[in-house]
Amino acid sequence: MSLQADSPVHSSSSDDFAAYLDAELDSKSSESSPKSREEEVDEEEEEEEEEEEEKVAQVELCDLESKRIKRFKAEISENLEDPEGSTSHRALELNLEASSSKEACTHPGSFGDMCIVCGQRLNEESGVTFGYIHKGLRLGNDEIVRLRNTDMKNLLRHRKLYLVLDLDHTLLNSTLLIHITSEEEYLKSQTDSFEDVSKGSLFMLDSMPMMTKLRPFVRTFLKEASKMFEMYIYTMGDRPYALEMAKLLDPKKEYFSAKVISRDDGTQRHQKGLDVVLGQESAVLILDDTENAWTKHKDNLILMERYHFFGSSCRQFGFNCKSLSELKSDESDSDGALASVLKVLTRIHHMFFDELTTNLEARDVRQVLKTVRKDVLKGCKIVFSRVFPTQFQADNHYLWRMAENLGAICSKELDSSVTHVVSTDAGTEKSRWALKNEKFLVHPQWIEAANFLWEKQPEHKFSVNQTKKE
Amino acid sequence: MFFHIILERNMQLHPRYFGRNLRENLAAKLMKDVEGTCSGRHGFVVAITGIENIGKGLIRDGTGFVTFPVKYQCVVFRPFKGEILEAVVTMVNKMGFFAEAGPVQIFVSNHLIPDDMEFQSGDMPNYTTSDGSVKIQKDCEVRLKIIGTRVDATEIFCIGTIKDDFLGVINDPATV
Repeated sequence: MSLQADSPVHSSSSDDFAAYLDAELDSKSSESSPKSREEEVDEEEEEEEEEEEEKVAQVELCDLESKRIKRFKAEISENLEDPEGSTSHRALELNLEASSSKEACTHPGSFGDMCIVCGQRLNEESGVTFGYIHKGLRLGNDEIVRLRNTDMKNLLRHRKLYLVLDLDHTLLNSTLLIHITSEEEYLKSQTDSFEDVSKGSLFMLDSMPMMTKLRPFVRTFLKEASKMFEMYIYTMGDRPYALEMAKLLDPKKEYFSAKVISRDDGTQRHQKGLDVVLGQESAVLILDDTENAWTKHKDNLILMERYHFFGSSCRQFGFNCKSLSELKSDESDSDGALASVLKVLTRIHHMFFDELTTNLEARDVRQVLKTVRKDVLKGCKIVFSRVFPTQFQADNHYLWRMAENLGAICSKELDSSVTHVVSTDAGTEKSRWALKNEKFLVHPQWIEAANFLWEKQPEHKFSVNQTKKE
Repeated sequence: MFFHIILERNMQLHPRYFGRNLRENLAAKLMKDVEGTCSGRHGFVVAITGIENIGKGLIRDGTGFVTFPVKYQCVVFRPFKGEILEAVVTMVNKMGFFAEAGPVQIFVSNHLIPDDMEFQSGDMPNYTTSDGSVKIQKDCEVRLKIIGTRVDATEIFCIGTIKDDFLGVINDPATV
């Protein structure tokens, strides 16, 4: 301190006090101080005059430190002559090292580049970033596994599973204001106010600038699903968009607090992964309209029929039809896609907790999902006619696989046990056979519809158009 | 910890601000530039309380800008390792909880929460003791000890612990 008092440049005594405190507090904690002080000096470049002083002070400190070490080493070398004492000293040295690294903390994660357990500054960036929970938070793999395990127990006790929800085309549909067609202009006068978000479904976001339409039934869906699931939002949109949408869906922040994952948080580009979701994969269900985004987790995925409200979104996916908004209509509230999916979710939840007899922790929701799916077309035997290209390996076709996943039996040959012939053309031999033998002749969309709606669809709605031929 | 200290800064002023309001302009610019910023040594500048002295300006070649050395008094806030701090909980999750003390963001991981407190999920996630007498949830005030600090240009990050005597919830607005 005397050194600083002498200095003529320096003006404030409180400043010295700060430095003094700093040194005091640092030296009290078991970590050695010189290193952290050096770092601090690096950080500031504004106050150069003061810095010089600090360096002087620091040199003094370092000197002290090195003297201490020297003295210690001297003691060791003195005792080294004694052959028996040397081993004990080795141990002593090791002890010293151990205590200086704080009982070898494993640094399970970091917050603002500091270990979350010992507070030490970490230089290397390791683990997965959890920016969607809090800025600057990272967790190592071991810690993630540990958290998933403890959380899983907690969750099962509350009879809940995880549900990961996609935003666009699943829960809502957004369009840029510039993409609104003249036929949709009328929507601008129908937007709901932000005063009571929980009642509206069509919103104008001037800051984005975008217009967003929530899918019918979404509020009831979220309310019901939140009783059975811990829900995450996972979207390919950027974070400001994702948060804005979360505000619309969940104005009271009951469902998604700190559980909104955007593409900025994912670990892979153009892919969604469950690695940033703090839930065990065997308990996660995913609701999404894009199968390709979840290549690694197809077993967890419940594919949704896309919700296209705005014309721009239809055209984006190559449909040249009128959109719902242009037709001034909308999906049905009571038996739209979300309502039917909610039924499926309820069933899976029920099966998982009430019907399975195995140990709760050994249960796998993916298996349950498979079983439920297999019930949809159970008992159907399907023959395809002129659906696959001739040289195509039939059982590799997505419709074939889809039908099999839904529990139907697919066959290449006709026989009396066949129940459905799937074709786009009523004129093929197999189609005519079906008509003659009073079997169902259905369009391939029949399978797709069953896949989306989780229910066998009435065949007459998907009859193959015969007028062309006749 | 708060400090009332005198700092110095070289301010560059555009010639258009010269005139009889020069000093006021300098002070206004200083407040705009400095308040709310952080430095590793002094921490967060909370407020400027007064101008101590404005030195002689120096014209810079080529630009016409003038550099003034300004000494000013200010209140700074700087957390220290080992300091006990009171903070408001902002978010609770399974990893631990986040708390705020003014500009300082503090994270207390569940490793540093006493072992008898367990995480409860729900609309209002919280850490609760087995007998339910102590509950940490959003908007609670907690007393914690800082074990690590890092100062950025505009933010201060800290790691805290409540696994020690006399640390933990000091006031829960939900129960008042």
